[in-house]
Amino acid sequence: MTASSPILRVVCSYSVPLTVLVALRMFWQGHDLPGGGFIAGVLLAAAGAMALLAYGMSWAVARPWWKLSVVGLAISLANGIVPLSRGKAFMDNTFLDIAGLHLPTAVFFDLGVMLIVTGTLMTIFVELGQEHD
Amino acid sequence: MIDPSLQVLLASSLPFLAALVVFASGRMSGAASGWTVLGAAIGSTILLCSLVGDAASVPASFRADWMPSLGVEFHLRADPFALYFALLVVTIGGLVTLYSLSYLRDEPASHLRRYYASLATFMGAMVGIALADDLILLFVFWEMTSLSSFLLIGYRFENAEARSGAVRALLVTSLGGLVMSVGFLLLAKIAGTFSISTIAANPRIVEQVLASPLSSAALICILCGAFTKSAQFPFHFWLPKAMVAPTPISAYLHAATMVKAGIFLLARMDPVFGQSPLWAPILVTVGGISLLLGAWQTLREHDLKAILARGTGASLGALVMMYGLGAADQDALQILSHALYKGSLFLVVGIVEHHTHTRDLRQLGGLRREMPLTFAVFVVAALSMAGIPPLLGFVAKEGLFVALLETDVLSPGGRAVLLAVAVASGALLAAAAWRMTAGIFLGSRPDALSAQPHGHSTVQRDWILLAPPALLSAAALTLGVLAAMPSIVQMFADGSSRPDAALHLSSIPHPGAALAFSLTALTLAGLLVATRDRLSAFADRLPVLPPAERTWDALVTGLMDLGSAYSSRWENGSLRWYLGATLAALPLLIVHVLDSVGLSYRRIEISLEDLSWQGLACCTMLGVATIAAVRARTRLAAVITTTIVGFLVAMIFMIYRSPDILLTQILIETVSTIFLLLVLVHLPPFRLPDLSPIARLVNGTVATAVGACATILLLLSMTPGLRELDNIATRPGGLLARSLLDGGGSNAVNVIIVDLRALDTTGEITVLVVVGLCIYSLLRTRRTA
Repeated sequence: MTASSPILRVVCSYSVPLTVLVALRMFWQGHDLPGGGFIAGVLLAAAGAMALLAYGMSWAVARPWWKLSVVGLAISLANGIVPLSRGKAFMDNTFLDIAGLHLPTAVFFDLGVMLIVTGTLMTIFVELGQEHD
Repeated sequence: MIDPSLQVLLASSLPFLAALVVFASGRMSGAASGWTVLGAAIGSTILLCSLVGDAASVPASFRADWMPSLGVEFHLRADPFALYFALLVVTIGGLVTLYSLSYLRDEPASHLRRYYASLATFMGAMVGIALADDLILLFVFWEMTSLSSFLLIGYRFENAEARSGAVRALLVTSLGGLVMSVGFLLLAKIAGTFSISTIAANPRIVEQVLASPLSSAALICILCGAFTKSAQFPFHFWLPKAMVAPTPISAYLHAATMVKAGIFLLARMDPVFGQSPLWAPILVTVGGISLLLGAWQTLREHDLKAILARGTGASLGALVMMYGLGAADQDALQILSHALYKGSLFLVVGIVEHHTHTRDLRQLGGLRREMPLTFAVFVVAALSMAGIPPLLGFVAKEGLFVALLETDVLSPGGRAVLLAVAVASGALLAAAAWRMTAGIFLGSRPDALSAQPHGHSTVQRDWILLAPPALLSAAALTLGVLAAMPSIVQMFADGSSRPDAALHLSSIPHPGAALAFSLTALTLAGLLVATRDRLSAFADRLPVLPPAERTWDALVTGLMDLGSAYSSRWENGSLRWYLGATLAALPLLIVHVLDSVGLSYRRIEISLEDLSWQGLACCTMLGVATIAAVRARTRLAAVITTTIVGFLVAMIFMIYRSPDILLTQILIETVSTIFLLLVLVHLPPFRLPDLSPIARLVNGTVATAVGACATILLLLSMTPGLRELDNIATRPGGLLARSLLDGGGSNAVNVIIVDLRALDTTGEITVLVVVGLCIYSLLRTRRTA
């Protein structure tokens, strides 16, 4: 990929971290407000795409993005399987109280969704982007 | 001693375990894997032998639930006939494995592992067929033998002939198996149970089966399975082609066991359908035709294995006929007799081929001095094939004649025809036996015949190669001599599928009609041998491909052509075509669904009171952008206009305050625009297709219809009065209500996605991951290639 403009790089040095933060916030609030794993995942991928445009492909090529989606799938499935070990139904979600947080276990499923969306989109970006070379 | 039910399970699973060990080991030597399989065969033999004692009174059985809701059980039951057949399978399996250890010793270890693993799987599946009491279980084992025999026939897969022979055998036998499974299902439906022993032991159920109108359909389907497996007319043609298999495999699968699975099935069905009006006519006709056809075709072949294969088809025909004649009490005798001599003949042919590198009768001759022991073994087996006393083959042939003379299912004319068929085939088979013996061992040794086998001249003294056929021949001789002894008769009677009938056997020729027919057959055989040159010249002039085979080939080719015609027309890889077809189907589907729930566009109520000026402006711009997208002349313009459309839609979401969808829409639009830009440079030059006016009209109609349907659906969903319809989201206790109560979240969309409907989402994310991996691997391999 050709070198991008300095302006883009400067803008991205702010916008990429910001987008990541927004994505995490979106993920967190997804239970009650607009957001959730899917949107957070797409946002993260958008941040990734911005970084690709600004800084070139080299930082992303070496990373196995597809593993991210596989890990995500594993998390989501594990979230479904864990209740089985307690004699409950597959995907039977409940609430966890950790450190004062009232956390629905579905959040892990959502985390998996986010990783899968990010991983798959980044895989496609990186692979298609390399076609340029 | 271990529990009998476990013993049954263990006996049938030992071969599978051996296959698993051999296959999974990955680095076991060829010989070690052979010994492993041999060990499993011996273990199974011992286990099965120890079950024989109680088999008649209390058959050992192993049962476990399999599909309880359907009444399907994993039920193995070791009744005497099952044990008899299973023992035949494992003992001959052991001998064949032993033989293979020497026969295939020069092959690479990886090939041998594959060979022995398939062989052991086959053995386990055959034991399973013998022991299975559940129809579905029997079917599963049945198909396993088809699959493993495919692997074994195609062992030398570098050879095109081996591949085509294997495919043909697989297609014929598995097609028959499928038809048979339909028959099984029908039978189980009528009888109300999948258990064979329950059906057979219950006269009331048998009556019920025979009285049912589906009975003949079930019978014919099941017979299809039996006839394909046992290479009966008109499915006889696959067997000679399967002779490309290594010789021990031919001996094991295509003489001793697998082709007998069809016979075994007939024995199992005999108590059920034996009284059906179709049973005797079909079996007698098909068996008779196969008998005569196979025996006749031995004349035409010059390849030793092909002669043996044709002869096997004939002998199996005789067995089929025997069930038709109601002589199931002889089956133990008949099955064993054929397995012994045919197995032995095959194995000796293997030795001869090893020694001389040819199986062609025209090139062989005069080997009796070089291989006296092999010669002796072969002669004994050939005598049994010819049905000469005191060998077991004679006893079996007498039995068949007696059955023909004593049966009450035949009209006098039919009996005469069948007797003629039996005599003629007996003569032809005896002539074939003579022809093989004379062709290989007698006469003078052709000079062209190579002197040295594969580098080791010790084949003749190789006891591992010679012992298995010698044992088989010895058994044929001993059992034949002792056939009159009460204990031997008892063994054959107990082992048969109808153990309570009285069986009379004798190896000593005693005057009677049966003997007269035997003698006639042998005299005719002598005549055939005397005129064999003229006769085989005549046989050679007959068409080479029998019509059944040609029909089958045409059928398979036709099916392939149909498949490729279908895929080149309908699955041609054109995205335009796929998208067009999908979109054209969509309006029809929507109209159908709306119609079936009683909705129509007439119920839409549109009020323009709430229309804001922002909304109107957005819609206007949307219209303009859409027209621009349709009329775009470059790809970049198309991408940009499409993106504009997307963002305008997002704007509408904003105006009507739907932050969730707004967010999603904006992100998706952004990401897909990035995609489009990434792939833009790789796409071929943008060419607006030159469409005929008709094509334009069709495209326009489809597009308009899809748009109209989508609009109607949308408007219907917004129409007040229709939202009260039963709806899984909005009804009381529906998803919307539950998302707050059960999911504890107020973002209903997300709670539904990740919690209430997480199972659906799991499917979707799995697809997503798979798509990502596919794209990754496709693009990666394309770049590295």
